[in-house]
Amino acid sequence: MNDELITAVREQRNKVHMNIPVEQIISRGRAVRTRRRIPGIAGALALAAVAAFAVTALLPASHQSGHGPGAQLAAWTVTKQADGTVYVTIRELRDPAGLQSKLRADGLPASVIFGNSSNAETNPCQSYGDGAELQKVFTFLAPPGPPQGHSSAMAIHPSALPGGAGVQIITSQSQVGAHLVTTSQGCTGS
Amino acid sequence: MDFAEFYRGSKDECLLTVLVSVGDHDTAQDLVAEAFARAWASWRTVSRHPAPRAWVVRTALNANISRWRRRRREVSVPDPGTVADLPAVDQADSSVDPRIMAALMRLPARQRQVVALRLFLDLDTDRSAAVLGIAPGTVQAHLGRAIAALRKDLIPERQEESPS
Repeated sequence: MNDELITAVREQRNKVHMNIPVEQIISRGRAVRTRRRIPGIAGALALAAVAAFAVTALLPASHQSGHGPGAQLAAWTVTKQADGTVYVTIRELRDPAGLQSKLRADGLPASVIFGNSSNAETNPCQSYGDGAELQKVFTFLAPPGPPQGHSSAMAIHPSALPGGAGVQIITSQSQVGAHLVTTSQGCTGS
Repeated sequence: MDFAEFYRGSKDECLLTVLVSVGDHDTAQDLVAEAFARAWASWRTVSRHPAPRAWVVRTALNANISRWRRRRREVSVPDPGTVADLPAVDQADSSVDPRIMAALMRLPARQRQVVALRLFLDLDTDRSAAVLGIAPGTVQAHLGRAIAALRKDLIPERQEESPS
């Protein structure tokens, strides 16, 4: 009985996959090595450059937070699964343009606005539908709300998107929300 | 051993091991990526380590502790309750058996780590003890309790599913 149990637990090894290419790991490793070699004030200056480099080198699908050296957690992360589902985790309200570009690169007509309610008033998008489709397109894996302190995470199912509809992730008074919008050049880029 | 070969052959097991400890897929992936980057930067040393994968996992878990302490100082969260809630987010990894993952996440943290090191990384008792900084006998005790808890949690469901 124990053997069967242990086998079942061990089988999970084949079901979790790390999708970061080795080239990106090595790029980050070069940054780590450089950081170790530069002492004093020059080292402090180099840290800023290394951190900036890491934004593009280590996690192109995410935006680095500004918490300094060590575990460089991303402000947000986008992961696309084989079935097309796109998972978005937002830890900090940073770099909405980068998140928007990443979602569009993953094939989603998307708009991202991080800001307060006054920013939201300049929202170039028009809402789509009556909300019935919303539940099919979005699954909130963590409750919508302020990302500070816990991740705001959602799954987006592109296959459930109606024709002419795109997704928008928008904050109002630091609350993360998501809804469907009508696609347009000014809103979702196409 | 070539680093790229080591990375491709070890990354998934290391990710799962750290995932079981921290509960959140994205956080685990960030931590493991950073640990592998540090392994590359110190590859001459790490490649001679008796268990390089254990080195990566230990580095990732240490980074997680540092991160948690730093964030605790800088912001009001996460509190332990928040950390405990994080595994629910991990539904992002849909290919993992949710019953087994849920059962693993219900184990105490140290038992989870022992299960991960022994069953996912295939480390022996002594090496697992060295990674965790505890006695080999304690590793065996944690593993025994963890297996008993998992059996209690998982086996009854399986028997109910089987035709009598």
